[in-house]
Amino acid sequence: MELRPILSALMRSRVALVLLGLQIALTLAIVCNSLFIISERAALMARPSGMNEADTVILASIGFGADFDMKRAMADDLAMLRALPGVVEAAPINSVPMSNGGWSSGLSLTREQKTSSAYSAMYFSDDHGLDALGARLIAGRLFRPDELGERSRKTEGWPPVIIITRALGDKLWPGQDAIGKTVWLDTDSAPSTVIGIVDRLQAPWVHNDEVVEFATLLPEVINEGAFTRYVVRSAPGQRDAVLKAAEAKLAALNSSRIVREGKTVEKIRADAYSGDRAMMIILGVVIVSLLIITALGIVGMASFWVTQRTRQIGTRRALGATRGAILRYFLVENFVITSIGLLLGAGLAYGFNVWLIQNYQTAAMPWYYVPTGCLSLWLLGQLAVLGPARRASRVPPAMATRSI
Amino acid sequence: MLKMNHLSKVYRTHLIETHALRDFSIHVREGEFVAVTGPSGSGKTTFLNIAGLLEAFTGGEYFLDGVDVRGMNDAARSRLRNEKIGFIFQGFNLIPDLNLFDNVDVPLRYRGFNAAERRRRIEQALARVGLSARMKHYPSELSGGQQQRVAIARALAGSPKILLADEPTGNLDTQMARGVMQLLEELHGEGATIIMVTHDPELAARAQRNVHVIDGQVVDIEAEPRMRGPDIAVPQAVQA
Repeated sequence: MELRPILSALMRSRVALVLLGLQIALTLAIVCNSLFIISERAALMARPSGMNEADTVILASIGFGADFDMKRAMADDLAMLRALPGVVEAAPINSVPMSNGGWSSGLSLTREQKTSSAYSAMYFSDDHGLDALGARLIAGRLFRPDELGERSRKTEGWPPVIIITRALGDKLWPGQDAIGKTVWLDTDSAPSTVIGIVDRLQAPWVHNDEVVEFATLLPEVINEGAFTRYVVRSAPGQRDAVLKAAEAKLAALNSSRIVREGKTVEKIRADAYSGDRAMMIILGVVIVSLLIITALGIVGMASFWVTQRTRQIGTRRALGATRGAILRYFLVENFVITSIGLLLGAGLAYGFNVWLIQNYQTAAMPWYYVPTGCLSLWLLGQLAVLGPARRASRVPPAMATRSI
Repeated sequence: MLKMNHLSKVYRTHLIETHALRDFSIHVREGEFVAVTGPSGSGKTTFLNIAGLLEAFTGGEYFLDGVDVRGMNDAARSRLRNEKIGFIFQGFNLIPDLNLFDNVDVPLRYRGFNAAERRRRIEQALARVGLSARMKHYPSELSGGQQQRVAIARALAGSPKILLADEPTGNLDTQMARGVMQLLEELHGEGATIIMVTHDPELAARAQRNVHVIDGQVVDIEAEPRMRGPDIAVPQAVQA
């Protein structure tokens, strides 16, 4: 292995070594951290909402005119929607997971508490709500019709029964069964008793890590004003047809309102994570661009060196180097340059991650990112230098005696 | 040591054929110092390239130290070249980014000697050319004559069977040329087989035997070597 003379020769070309080494170092640091950010975003986007996203649609009704009767319109709408062919279940609801708009409230374990034990999204729906969302009840029971209430701005107090997500139950009563436990939504009112646990139902705010998995279902229908939102779950494969039919039927059913927001939950998810997706694409483009630029830098530098050293290569061949030895020389030389860059880049990568942690509250990058990045860049370097190295290996030994 | 019989070398393009060597025969015995002379374009360098296994030949036979080199693949030729031949180039061909030690080390690494053996040979070779004290120096820190001495040390380090010198003093001034020629003569006196290609008749006269090449053919060959030795005076033309 010609490691020492290669290193010694490289030290005589410090500028090229430093420039290429820095390029490799920056590439490693940026690629590792970008990949980590992409993986974090991908993990964020992959979280289930707890709903049946594939078959569920959301519609909104906005009444107008002095004679618009909200209660009557809602009753008619729900009767029509539940009878619509292809509909499995329909319910009124104030908000849905991932929609980025809704109601949240603090929950306290005692009346005397000054600070809430947890904050949770509040979903107001009827006894069909959980089924319409497609959320899975894992303990306790659903709301009974006799427990349903109505809510307006004048409503005081909170319903005596609620259903919460498992994550919220674990937060409020770690290691205990939440069923039957009481919680205060308002310390001036009577507490509510947990009667059911839902496996999962995300809050509308997917980027708020503190509340995203905490949701509370309340057996109340908001019937004040003129705005109502419906969640409609169709039979598998009939979602789009149901959405189209529901929009048309709602519009036909009552001429004193307009039907809006007809969209699938998949669309709501896509909108919720559009910023994350854009960032992943941008970072992906940055990664690919950097890798291409680095590879081109290696190819360019190696090509230049091969051209510059044509006579030297011929001399080496004349002195007994086989083609393989010349090929190996350039591969080892690239390996040395890349290794120096990667050594610096590893420090930069971890430093950059620490800076992101301190300034942007990101997580610590797992240890294996940098070693994997190093291996990838070593491979990239070897592939990039292969072409120039093969060209070098084809320099004839007679080049040593030519006058060039 | 080196025997070529009816050797030919033809360079072909899609338009023309150039006969660089034709019916070229030569026999160099062990311990001889042979000068190959001729005008530019006569085929001297082609002969040197073929003799040094740097190029393949088109026809004829070539035996190097008894080995028939016809049909050898590139790797085998490289190994044979490394083992049997020491090159001394007109332009020295030292590697500028390596110090003298590492320059002399280049052919030894290709030979596969271990580190201790390489060090021993490098120190011995550099001592032989009087440059032991400058092992860590780079070629750019040396005069032309010293650089050629390093090149000679590099050629000697592998204990080759034959030294091939291509215009070894062509890039040197008179005084440095004299020193290099003296060194070659000393090496010959110690038993080295040397073939020197030159267009300079003054230098050629210092060899044991002259082979004159014109248009790729040997036109004048001295059958018997003249008696020469390292103690022979340097000709006036070289001293001037």
